[in-house]
Amino acid sequence: MSVIEYDVIIIGAGVAGLTAGARLAEDGYRVALVTKGEPTACLSTGCIDVCSLDHDPMHAISHLPEEHPYHLTARASIRGALDRFKSSLNEIGAQYTGTLENNRYILSALGTYKTTCLTPVTMSAVPQNDDEDIHIITFSGLKDFYPSYIISRRKNSSSSIYDAGASTTMGLAANFEQEEFLENFIVWLEKQNIRESKIAFPAVLGLESAAKIAQKIQNRLGRKVFEIPTIPPSMPGRRLFNALKHYFRKKGGTIYWSWPVSGVEKSGNIIEAVITPSEGRPNSLNAKAFVLGTGSFVGGGLTAGRSKITEIVFDLPVHTPGSRDDWFDNDYFSINHGIGTAGIIADASFRPKESPWENIFVCGSILAHTKILKYGCGHGLAVVTGHAAAKACAEYIR
Amino acid sequence: MKFERCIRCTICVENCPVFRVNPEFPGPKQSGPDAQRFRAEKEKSVDDWVLLCSQCRRCDMACPCGVEPAQIILRAQQKYGMEHPRSLAHLLFANNYYLSALGSLTAPVANKVATTKIGKKIFHAMGITTYIPFPQFSFHTMKSAKRKKGKSAKKVAFFYGCFINFYRPDIGRKIIRLLESFDVDVVLPEQWCCGLPALGNGNLALARYFAQKNAASLTNYIDAGYDVVYTCTSCGLCLLHDYPGVLEIPQAKKIAGSTYDLHEYIVKLIDDGHIDQPRFTEVPRKIAYHIPCHLRALGIGYPATKIMDLIPGLEYEIFDDTCCGLNGSYGFKKKNEPTAVQLGNRAVSLIKKSGAENIMADCGSCRMQLGGLSGMDALDPAEVICQSLGITGER
Repeated sequence: MSVIEYDVIIIGAGVAGLTAGARLAEDGYRVALVTKGEPTACLSTGCIDVCSLDHDPMHAISHLPEEHPYHLTARASIRGALDRFKSSLNEIGAQYTGTLENNRYILSALGTYKTTCLTPVTMSAVPQNDDEDIHIITFSGLKDFYPSYIISRRKNSSSSIYDAGASTTMGLAANFEQEEFLENFIVWLEKQNIRESKIAFPAVLGLESAAKIAQKIQNRLGRKVFEIPTIPPSMPGRRLFNALKHYFRKKGGTIYWSWPVSGVEKSGNIIEAVITPSEGRPNSLNAKAFVLGTGSFVGGGLTAGRSKITEIVFDLPVHTPGSRDDWFDNDYFSINHGIGTAGIIADASFRPKESPWENIFVCGSILAHTKILKYGCGHGLAVVTGHAAAKACAEYIR
Repeated sequence: MKFERCIRCTICVENCPVFRVNPEFPGPKQSGPDAQRFRAEKEKSVDDWVLLCSQCRRCDMACPCGVEPAQIILRAQQKYGMEHPRSLAHLLFANNYYLSALGSLTAPVANKVATTKIGKKIFHAMGITTYIPFPQFSFHTMKSAKRKKGKSAKKVAFFYGCFINFYRPDIGRKIIRLLESFDVDVVLPEQWCCGLPALGNGNLALARYFAQKNAASLTNYIDAGYDVVYTCTSCGLCLLHDYPGVLEIPQAKKIAGSTYDLHEYIVKLIDDGHIDQPRFTEVPRKIAYHIPCHLRALGIGYPATKIMDLIPGLEYEIFDDTCCGLNGSYGFKKKNEPTAVQLGNRAVSLIKKSGAENIMADCGSCRMQLGGLSGMDALDPAEVICQSLGITGER
């Protein structure tokens, strides 16, 4: 047998791709994941939005339009996929809280609430209503995190500023990973005579050890502690990416960085190999099946010209919402931009519709009709379709 | 230059090891695409902080839009280098090749001097750090390794690189025996420094000089049916990415077409059916496999792991989120010492937590840094493979 042959190649290192890869690796398949760069998950809040239209996410899903990709999977599979997400991250010490019975809120840096479903454990203590009083800590020079915004909406709150010798989320998180810094910080915190029942931080409480750091502050101060996501660089997003990556590797998966797919080798209805650009000889990887999780426009899976939307890896047929005039609403901040429906239409086996390929399986935000902004279903849909595409792929190569 | 593609998502900043620990460095987004908008060809560079970039190229790899911030910064570093007088340390490290050649010739004396108090004082005066021991020069370089002519269908021109040549020719000799055990004829082509240290120290002209000489020598062998095999991943990155890129070497495409990472090449030998799968014996050990930034940047995956997977008893864990901090000569410069030490200690602490007995890395400077800071043995993957196949080599 050839040493370089894989059973499956996953394209894209986002939540969908890493989920699909881990699932296939767990089942004993030889899996490689190729990626151009790092995923948009790193820019996210790290929370798993399942469906935010209703307080009950599963109920909300049942009311989505029939073309929504959630309906490609059975309710039990949705539940199973998200339960497995929680248990697998738990296994490597990146706990998530929340249940599929109820959505919950996290607090934004503007003091507004955002609806989500599963949250990193460092956001489990976020107040779920305006009555709870909070004390907000910020750091000298940290941009785009101003407690006054939050206080203007929560009158029973106050804030303090700590000079941490760093003013970026990355730098602050690196400091928190050092025991001496953390100790000095806690001593300072104890002197602040905080009266409120909870303490809020921008999400900079470490990178690898965030849960432990939050717990330590909580124990010493005798108050609940929680994080508020920042604009990127977003530590909770990176922690999620690192955790999924770590889990995928732990299950035997291999990752190829700097590996944008620029071409394919095909035969009949089968894709045989994917190729990456190289200055010299062709650099290709072959496999029995391919899982496409390259994301939508920001992730780079789709690209839009003046009048045409293209899928960049396999040039699959893309559902395009009408003519260019229909792509955008007049309001920039609208959640109803037509372009939100663009993507690949998949059949029940997660193969792209109206395309000849029988060994391509599609998952995540590159799917058509997701309307992620409107339905609040980003990472949740990625986890669920990642699982489902992996299952369909496993059935094919078995 | 692809700076217009930047959507300011900051994924590059998240990946920058220097930014993480050195507040003086504004990060790859600001020093790369942001500042590029204000750089004019005919104006003198004012942004001395571009010199703080270690050229690990993690930002190039992380960017989802293909901006390649490190490439933008690399060019800014060359421009800055040409317009400003360089420090003694910069000059010395750019000429690392000549310096090391001198060190090797005088190895018995040079090595002793380097460890004495006065030697360290001299290093400090030149702006060179001594927090890890300076590598020991080897009196016998690769050039003194004897070659016999063979008639195998597979012929390799071995680009061993300066680190192996001047400091660890024993590993180089093991690699030759390893390849020969796979029925491959190995020759040592005439070669110079790949050019990366000169590039990293802002001396484009010197880098190009080395590259042109190497290109002429290597293409001769390629035309005669040889494949080029490198073992240092930074040499590899320079040959494959910088020769066609910033160094604009005309034969770069030909070289890239026939140049392989050592482990990539061994896998290819098995794949092509040139050899059967070798009979690996047990190596019962737990190893932390530190991935050099430049191996990651090569975009060939981690080929050594494909061989490691075949060695019974060997357990390895991949560490590819941490830069060792040394970055060739970067960490040896006094002003970069705190950055290098902090990054190195962070990498070491993660490795120690894993309970590994040894460290493994493809890059000599990573091994120097991590071995020096941890006190653990740091091995080349080829050494582990040779151990499993019972191939020994004298120092």
